[in-house]
Amino acid sequence: MARKLTVSPMIKRVFSHLFTKPATCKYPFVKAEVPDDFRGKQVFDISLCVSCGLCSRDCPAKAIEMVEVDGKRRPLFHLDLCVFCYQCAESCPRNAIKSSVFFELAVIDKSTLVIKPESSLQNVSGAQ
Amino acid sequence: MIKRVIDFWLFFRVLVFPGFTFILFFTLFCDWVERKIEARMQNRVGPAVAGPAGILQPLADLIKLLSKEEIVPTNAKKRFFRITPVLAFSIMVFAICFLPIDGSSAISSSGFAGDLIFVMALVTIANFLLFVSGWASSNPYGAIGASRVLTQFLGYDIPLFLLALTPAFLAGNLALSVIALSQYKFIPFIILTPWAFVLFIITLQAELEKDPFDIPHAESEVVGGLETEYGGGRLAFLHLTRDVQIVLGAALVVTFFLGGPYGPVFFGFPEFWYSLWFVLKVLGVVVLTEYITCLFARLRIDQVLTANWRILLPLSIVSLALTIAMVTWVYPLVI
Amino acid sequence: MPVPDQDSLVSVLQHKIGTVGNILPGQLGKATIQIESALNRKVIQILLENDDGACIIALTGLDLGEKIGLMYHIRTKGLVVTVKTEVSKEDPKIATITDIIPGANFHEREAADLLGVVFEGHPNLSRLVLPEDWPKDLYPLRKDAKLEGVSSKLADSQCNTQPEVKMQQSQTDSRLVNIIVGPQHPALLEPEKFSLKVDGETVMDVEPRIGYVHRGVEKAAEQRTYLQDVYLIERICGICNSCHALTFVGAVEKILKTEVPDRARYIRTIILELNRLHSHLLVLGHAGLEIGYETLFQYMWRDREPIMDLTELLTGNRVISSSMTIGGVRRDLKEEDVPKIKTQLAILRKKMDFYQNLYRNERSLKMRTQNVGILSKDDAIKLCVVGPVARASGVLTDVRKDEPYAAYGEIPFKIITRTEGDTFARLIVRLDEIDESINIIEYTLDNMPSGPYRVRVPRIVVAGEAVNRVEAPRGELFHYVKSNGTAYPERVKVRTPTFANIPAFLKTAIGGSIADVPANFVSLDPCFSCTDR
Repeated sequence: MARKLTVSPMIKRVFSHLFTKPATCKYPFVKAEVPDDFRGKQVFDISLCVSCGLCSRDCPAKAIEMVEVDGKRRPLFHLDLCVFCYQCAESCPRNAIKSSVFFELAVIDKSTLVIKPESSLQNVSGAQ
Repeated sequence: MIKRVIDFWLFFRVLVFPGFTFILFFTLFCDWVERKIEARMQNRVGPAVAGPAGILQPLADLIKLLSKEEIVPTNAKKRFFRITPVLAFSIMVFAICFLPIDGSSAISSSGFAGDLIFVMALVTIANFLLFVSGWASSNPYGAIGASRVLTQFLGYDIPLFLLALTPAFLAGNLALSVIALSQYKFIPFIILTPWAFVLFIITLQAELEKDPFDIPHAESEVVGGLETEYGGGRLAFLHLTRDVQIVLGAALVVTFFLGGPYGPVFFGFPEFWYSLWFVLKVLGVVVLTEYITCLFARLRIDQVLTANWRILLPLSIVSLALTIAMVTWVYPLVI
Repeated sequence: MPVPDQDSLVSVLQHKIGTVGNILPGQLGKATIQIESALNRKVIQILLENDDGACIIALTGLDLGEKIGLMYHIRTKGLVVTVKTEVSKEDPKIATITDIIPGANFHEREAADLLGVVFEGHPNLSRLVLPEDWPKDLYPLRKDAKLEGVSSKLADSQCNTQPEVKMQQSQTDSRLVNIIVGPQHPALLEPEKFSLKVDGETVMDVEPRIGYVHRGVEKAAEQRTYLQDVYLIERICGICNSCHALTFVGAVEKILKTEVPDRARYIRTIILELNRLHSHLLVLGHAGLEIGYETLFQYMWRDREPIMDLTELLTGNRVISSSMTIGGVRRDLKEEDVPKIKTQLAILRKKMDFYQNLYRNERSLKMRTQNVGILSKDDAIKLCVVGPVARASGVLTDVRKDEPYAAYGEIPFKIITRTEGDTFARLIVRLDEIDESINIIEYTLDNMPSGPYRVRVPRIVVAGEAVNRVEAPRGELFHYVKSNGTAYPERVKVRTPTFANIPAFLKTAIGGSIADVPANFVSLDPCFSCTDR
């Protein structure tokens, strides 16, 4: 029975890769692109909040704590517990919680990983 | 005073160039070339951060390992455990010193008769010391890795030796410098006996424990192989031993088949050009072995042994016979 | 594959078992059979005689107050039949069925571990998912289990110096060397322990010990609402997260009797098939790594990146998609995303040509994977294996065709099977399934219906119970959900495909060389987070 002499396609492919650009994206020297509706760090708009507490009740990771701010109950987001499922954004009846594309959340001090319910101007930028 | 000058010159040649320091830095450079070429062939970047284009990465790894804690297991055979990495490394470096790197070897200017056998014996002893280092760790993974190293290199030493006799036969002499010089005067032996070159590269792949004969380093089976219990400076020496072995193997290929360090000299010192050609040829062989590494999967231990005893050994005997036949009868007619 | 004759199964059951048990058609699968606990062996024997390809899917145990309920979920002729019995809590004894169906071994051990049921006649009833030093009479899944402060008791115990609990009555031959693979080992992605007893280079026996990643998800699911549970169940496994979410959501929707809109079903299909694509590319690359083929590993994982980017585009995150919810999907498919998906899939299809060529022509790959780890068809059926492992041995089982869910009933596609049953066949099955998945996604995109993508459901679920099955990349995934009329589920039972496939690994390893163990192991595509929950 005649056997066809088959050559592995790797021989040519491996050699040709010496002359092609590497597929590596040199993060963090190169910025990583994410889509606009990426589930990154939350942006909380305190002016829309009505203190219903639904976000805290529905959070699967128990990462939202209702605290007193200026006499009203507001959510405090513990980002070290959050799983970024955005159930809070869905449950909120006033759309006060929105997503952002900011995802570089590694910190040295874990106590800075919270979103405090302060004036809306501080949180809208989404940085740090 | 002349005696002191001569001693200083020998001192310089053995320790600096083309001796220990040159070999060390050349090994680190070859390691970088190997990793970069492997990475490019796998469509990724390789070392890129330490130094320009990552060229200081092997040195950074070496320094990092030297700064780590060294632990000796309680049940290990302590004397062997401590000595064997450094000893294996130094024997390999010693063996390279006999190869003609810049027209003459580091230790004696023209080697001595029969130093081919001496160099091959040193390689075997160094590999055996690696086995002892794994055996001395008293760890089951170390023992299995060491026994695999032993099985593999002892088996493949025989065809390696037989194929190494081919250039000796062609040059009519067992001295390495004479083999290299006769290629310079005549023609590189790769053109005369290409079959021996191909078989030698394959056998070298097995001696150097690279894919497809990668078994002693198969992490998914034996965790760390013979390196399992080693850490710190001793692990650095084990890694260096492996890298120096690759340089030694490539240098042997260059000396046997590719004309040694000899090549066209353009201006200035011939020693400079000889060293340059040596470096370039060794790098070429390293790239070739790395290419073969990237092509194949790892074979099982029984397939490796089958490849040795049933395929390579008969083929190397046939290759030797063919060489003798060609040289005695065919080439005098043609050339 | 012919559509299973559904009503004849119920009539056969009525005829043969109707005298000794109560047949309830349409509940928990095709039918539920309620019997006394002493009759379990007889009924399962009858089911096996009716169809010799019958397999056990799962064994659910739950605390019913004064009694412990046991449910054997059997898959016969592509459909689910549940056999329900009860044992008393004070003396929970029942006969084992491992001699009739060997694949029930792990299931019975798990019920013994977590609920305290004693299976008489079981060859080895040692701990499976709980650690060795867990307190003896504490059964976590019982409602009256007091679990506060248990972890401090574990930390203080002297278990580290005690010898390992001796597994069954195996004669320890002094010639055999014990090689322990795991819990930390470069061949394993997640910790599990396999003690291989080798004689020279041949493996004589394998003793598995799983449970290192047991997080008690089933118990945790009882303490969260249904909506929170979707996210908890999704995180049982990172690779097949959408499948877990869909199975749970589908079971709850069956209890609620919700009608999911068409557009939601089609979007769910796309997300599931993207999940399958990235999982198969992962395991094929990982297979390359285990056999020492690092180049193949790097190439495959490079080609897997666009799939992760597509998932990120559709769902907002690369790995955990969080896109399933009770009543539909959380995000709609945008029109401008459709051409992007199609472009990437066309690129992937062209790259698969290279891999098809490679797998068929690369000698060193074939030398390592052909004719090793052979699992015969009989063994595959007796051990109740699922997924590509079963399909590579010739068993035609695929939930997408047996009981179509999402939009699979309306999409034409092929089931890939092979007959050799070796490691090579298992890898090729997955390779060919990649092409089929690309076809399915393209068909779905072309025939996407319009309309709503979600319906609202009440937060409090009526009392009831349901089972649901989904074809995850590794095999058939099974969930059982019981609700008691409150906002919290009463019992959630998860049976993952790797849990069913581990006995197959033991079978393929025994008798082979030790050097083949990593290759066999990766070809069954282990995911230990799934196994241990």
